[in-house]
Amino acid sequence: MSSTLAERVPDSDGEGSVGRRSFLKRLSALGALISAGLVSFPVLRAIFPPAARRPKAGNWVKVADDTALLDIGVPIRVNFVQSIDDAWIESRNLNGLWLYTEDGEKFKAYNGHCTHLGCSYFYDRNKKNFFCPCHRGQFDVKTGEVLDGPPPRPLDELQVEVRDASVFVNYKDFRLGVPERIEA
Amino acid sequence: MSLVGRWVDERINLTKIRRSLLDRSVSRDLTWWHTLGSATLAVFTVQVVTGVVLAMYYSPSPDHAFESIRYIDRVVDSGATLRGIHHWGASAMVVLAVAHMIRVFTMGAYKYPREINWLLGVALLFIVLGFGFTGYLLPWDQKAYWATAVGTNIAGTTPIIGGKLVTFLRGGSQQGAATLTRFYSMHVLLLPILFGTIVGLHLFLVIRQGVAPRAVELEPDAPKLTSDSGYPAYYRRREHESKTGGHRFWPDIIAKDVVTATLVIAILVALGIFVGAPLEAPADPTDASYVPTPEWYFLPFFQLLKLVPGSWESAIAVGLPMALVLVLLLLPFFDKRSVRSITKRPGAAFALGGIAISTAILLGASMRDQPKNAVAPEVGRILTSTERAGRTQFERQQCGGCHKVAGMAAVPKKEDAPDAPDLTEVGLRHTTAWLHSYIEDPVRFHPDSKMPAYGPPTLSHQEIEELARYLASLRGPPALNKQPEFRDTFPEPLKAKETK
Repeated sequence: MSSTLAERVPDSDGEGSVGRRSFLKRLSALGALISAGLVSFPVLRAIFPPAARRPKAGNWVKVADDTALLDIGVPIRVNFVQSIDDAWIESRNLNGLWLYTEDGEKFKAYNGHCTHLGCSYFYDRNKKNFFCPCHRGQFDVKTGEVLDGPPPRPLDELQVEVRDASVFVNYKDFRLGVPERIEA
Repeated sequence: MSLVGRWVDERINLTKIRRSLLDRSVSRDLTWWHTLGSATLAVFTVQVVTGVVLAMYYSPSPDHAFESIRYIDRVVDSGATLRGIHHWGASAMVVLAVAHMIRVFTMGAYKYPREINWLLGVALLFIVLGFGFTGYLLPWDQKAYWATAVGTNIAGTTPIIGGKLVTFLRGGSQQGAATLTRFYSMHVLLLPILFGTIVGLHLFLVIRQGVAPRAVELEPDAPKLTSDSGYPAYYRRREHESKTGGHRFWPDIIAKDVVTATLVIAILVALGIFVGAPLEAPADPTDASYVPTPEWYFLPFFQLLKLVPGSWESAIAVGLPMALVLVLLLLPFFDKRSVRSITKRPGAAFALGGIAISTAILLGASMRDQPKNAVAPEVGRILTSTERAGRTQFERQQCGGCHKVAGMAAVPKKEDAPDAPDLTEVGLRHTTAWLHSYIEDPVRFHPDSKMPAYGPPTLSHQEIEELARYLASLRGPPALNKQPEFRDTFPEPLKAKETK
């Protein structure tokens, strides 16, 4: 409020009205603040859903029936469909992973998404490594290390368990495009 | 003025706008009734904000609408509160807009020179009702579905264009997916744009013309009619005099507005938290026995429709709202007497009082004899259509002759009736599937059961299923909210089909 402006406006009854005006201004500000606060609190709570709605237990998926039938030294792609609760609907997600073994006993499983921006990568039979067609990222089949291209971290390795000759993988997705491995 | 303020002001000269907008002088002694308009605007803002969030979680398709509303209520943080605020906000809009209109009417503020703003206000009132009508359908529960069916049917009774009108409202001949998207589009796109635009004009005129002075300022020595040649000059002089009290729009008027608005918003939030919004069973277009109820502010009108003879119904159903619109629109052009206070306008006072009293009587009457969707006392909620059919079957087959169900009208026990299990909590013990099989042939489950087999041809499988669904709903007194622990055992041949 500039002083020149205040002079031009008719003031009702001198000194007293200045105090009254500043009280009314504060009252207005307080009321506006209360109103905005009352409404924003539920609004903000509703529009920022908590990152994890429920503690995620293991998501173990059977990816191979018999270890004896798996190729040695060549990764295989396993796709599977899972029903998921998608807000108010139940939908099906197609997920994929790569399974690799050198001896038929110890297994490695990689999340099927390239760690760069989530494209599906494939196995390059000539170079014998993983190749992502989107931005030419390349990964080592044995370790998942980045060999070339923009991916910020190695492939996301998943837990593997062999029970009665069947292979189970604890499938998870991770945040993409960042160097740290953070569960999505 | 701050550095940033000065920088901005040098470029776009906001000081000038502020002076004409905020620092302008206003008439003296404006009442608390003058805050009703801005309170309506405040609630509209709340409706926009909560509506935006609700729309983030809402799916306007019959397949998912109900589920998404339930998701808002159960999963979204504060979702139930937000839906409650939005629900009660709709009623608040109607109440405040009507109260604002009554204030303007009783103070004669619609007269010269504010006729245009009165017309805009009338338009806004009907848009508010449009919001209420379109928003009512969106949850796609029983109430929503059937109230809309009745509402659109009323529009369908309009002479000549009725058929076209109802097809237009429904987006087809049947009420369904196209109706829901149509109502959704109107509710979140068309009506808000219209409302926002007209509110803008409404406010622009309030600033341009100033808030109307109190009636007493404009009555002494006034020419008889506002159309008299001397009236505009008289008005200008008196209005100017009324502004010499030194009251400014900011903060004198705004502070009052804010106090009322804060109070209204606090009440809305409290209603949202502690009462919330109702949600009935999902819409069931096959349930012919459901009794629809419109939103409460449409009830007086519906009650009136019950009182008129059938042949007059369409005349009232369509004619009355039309007449109301017409009267409201023509009011400032017919009433040209310069006298403004309601106390000096006996005709206006009688008309307003008459409308208010008859509306109140109709509302009271409709609330009293609103046919309730019967809550089955033994179940404690409104039954689904299937369960209701099962209940009818239960009575028709005189199951109560042997079985007792607490809360149900007692049936005199037949002399030779064997002792049969109490069914008050049978839904806690057995699943629908088990009950169905049992009713079909009890002896297979208990070789010494005295219950007759009700399988075909006594009852069809459809009827047994209805009965089983009804029995499964019997879970004891609702207040106890007991959780079922099913103990279904099937006789040998059915083992393969065993359910959870």
